[in-house]
Order: sequence, then C-alpha cells, then structure tokens
Amino acid sequence: MKKLDLIKLPFSKNNPITVQVLGICSCLAVTAQLKPAVVMAISVTVVVALANLIISLMRKSIPPRIRIIVQLVVVSALVILVNQVLTAFVYDVSKQLSVYVGLIITNCIVMGRLEAFAMSNKPLDSLLDGIGNGLGYGVILVILGFVRELFGRGTLWGYPIFEKLGLYNIGYENNGFVIMAPMALILVGIIIWIQRSHNKELQEKS
Amino acid sequence: MKQFSNKYMLLYALGLAAVVALVLTIVATSLKPRQDKNRDAETKQMILKTIGIEATRDNAAELYDKNIDSEISFIAEDGTEIPYYTFDNGIVISLKGNGLWGPIWGYMALDHNGTVLGAVFDHQGETPGLGAEIATDKFAKRFIGKQMDEHPIVLKKNADKNNTYEVDAISGSTMTCNGVTEMLEKAFNQYRTITFSESKTEDEQ
Repeated sequence: MKKLDLIKLPFSKNNPITVQVLGICSCLAVTAQLKPAVVMAISVTVVVALANLIISLMRKSIPPRIRIIVQLVVVSALVILVNQVLTAFVYDVSKQLSVYVGLIITNCIVMGRLEAFAMSNKPLDSLLDGIGNGLGYGVILVILGFVRELFGRGTLWGYPIFEKLGLYNIGYENNGFVIMAPMALILVGIIIWIQRSHNKELQEKS
Repeated sequence: MKQFSNKYMLLYALGLAAVVALVLTIVATSLKPRQDKNRDAETKQMILKTIGIEATRDNAAELYDKNIDSEISFIAEDGTEIPYYTFDNGIVISLKGNGLWGPIWGYMALDHNGTVLGAVFDHQGETPGLGAEIATDKFAKRFIGKQMDEHPIVLKKNADKNNTYEVDAISGSTMTCNGVTEMLEKAFNQYRTITFSESKTEDEQ
C-alpha cells in the first residue's frame, strides 16, 4: 500500500465511522458543539497515532498471549497523558469532555487499528495509519459538531452567528432536537447515505 | 509464531508497568501546579457567581480578593474542616454531596437572616439533559430568595412558590434532586452553629 493511501483512505472508502462503523458512541456524545468535537478529534488522533507508533515499535517483542493487555496499557497511559495535558492547558474543554476523554481507551478505533495494523506493520506506516484514521474520525466529528451547534444553538465555536444575522427577528427558533444524541445518529446515517451513493465500491451487491 | 517463555512474559509485563508508571508520575507531578491553579480559579468563579459577580478564569482571582473579605473554616462535630467565606452582605457556604452517578457540589450565598442571595451547583457525571441540569443558571436561580434559617430547603415536585423552604425539582432527575436536598440538609446542620449564632451577634453589635 502506498504511504499516501494510508492517510487518504480513512477519509473516503475506509472511514472509521461511516464505513467501519467504529467509535459511534463518542461521536454521538461530544458533537453537540463544535469546540469539544474538535478537541476530541485532535485528542483521538494523537492517541491513535502515538499508540500505533509505540505498538509497532514494540510489536516484535510483545508476547502474543498478553498482547491485548500490553496494547491496553499503552493506550491507557496515552489517554491519561492527554487528560492531564487538557486539564492543565484547556481546563474548560476538559470539563466539557469529562468522562469522554477517559473513554478514548474504549474507543474501538484505537484498539481496532492496533490489532489490525500496528501489530503487523512498520512504525512509519503505522504512524501514518493512525494519523489517517484519527483524522478520518475527526472530520466526521467536526461535520456533526458544525451542523448540530449551528442549528441547535445558533452559534459556531460559541459565536452567536444566527443572532448577528438577525434570524431570530424574522421568527427563526433553535431546534432543540439537534442537540440530542439521536440527531447525531441520524446525521451519521445521512453522511453514510451520501457517501455510499457516490462511492459504488461501498454498495453491497444484492 | 515466535514462542515466548512464561518468565519473559512476566518480566515484560512488569517492565512495561514500571516504565508507564514512571512516565505518568513525572507528567502528573510536573503539570500539577497548572491544574491546581485552574481548579482554584474555578472555585473562585463559582463563589463569585453566588454573590452575583460573573468572573472569567483570568480575572477570578483579582475579583475574588476584592469582593470576598475572608476565608474561614471551623471544625465540625465529626472532625472535618468546613470552610466558609464572608463578604459584605453575608457568608458563602460550601456544599458537598452525592448525586445519582457521582459527587455533586456547590456554593450558596446567604445574608445575615439566612435568605439565599445566590447559589451555584456543579456535578461530575450526572446525566446530560436530566441531572446535569442542576449546573444551569436556570436551576440555580430558583433558590434566590428562599430561606435557610430554620429548616433546610427541600426540593420537591410542584413546589409551592410562596413557601420559602421549597424549591421546584427538575422532572426526570429525582435521584439527583434528592441528592441536592440531602446535601442542603447536611450543610444546614453543619453550618447552623456558625451561621446564625455569629450573624446574630453581628446584628446585635
């Protein structure tokens, strides 16, 4: 596989959320606003990329019988690091993400990439694969965060954009339903629909 | 597939644990001052909010020094140290309790007659949209004007608006609201000795 494909494929026909359908839980939970979505995207990308790199470097020394535990220890350590850094530098965001940072450990994308890729590929490839998958996950998060914050609260990154445009004066009201988790699932469904209708490879033969 | 001996596996696991523990300890210790500063600023923001001052994380310390006269603590009957804060019109008490999923806490500003001037609540992991609503201004505002003098405030459904010891609970989050009621009762019992005896002596002066 070409190196560039490792980064590119997770954006299209190997997207972790829309094609592999992994990491849905956290994607519903943190996308009510754009800012936590972006921070979560960055955090997951950092964790997947570094975990992939470290596991790939260690892969020949890891005894197969305890490999899952070893992967879990590496991922947990990275997640705790991310959490510590967030609490120290972007405290408000870390409060908003609260339990979801800890839940990166259980994000299927992380363990999935470690088992499927890093255990059997070279460090550089694994690093790229991690970055690609993290960003592929992140891009969906950002789309959801954008739509949900804009239509649910009328703001973007906390900036009251609809209020400034004067939409409330002509009778517009925020759609509270967009803030709820089910709407995120519906939006993911719509994204999958659009992607599949454009990409014939992804359609199951009937 | 390469075979590994049990001894190797055991040592591998121990070695990995030791390395990870070392790295995490170093990071946690070196970031601690920054994190403590953030938490401290947050507490000050919450206390300021109860007396009606909106502070940002950056100016919280400054506004706090200007508006809060003193931080005092006393030892409760069970031996725990309980803090309270004095300001021009009364005191701010600290609340600690348990919600449905984890700890909940808050601050409440009382004037010398035990009337609530303002309150804030926060939580660690209550359900978003239900129990987590206790952290909203909308909920906190319900406490303003209520009394904490003879009995603690109780949260209940369809509370009587004219009853100064009742506050409307949040529908769908009975467990969290019961936690708030318990927290208020606990705080009331802890603080009653100081709040009213001291404020009364102050009034007499």
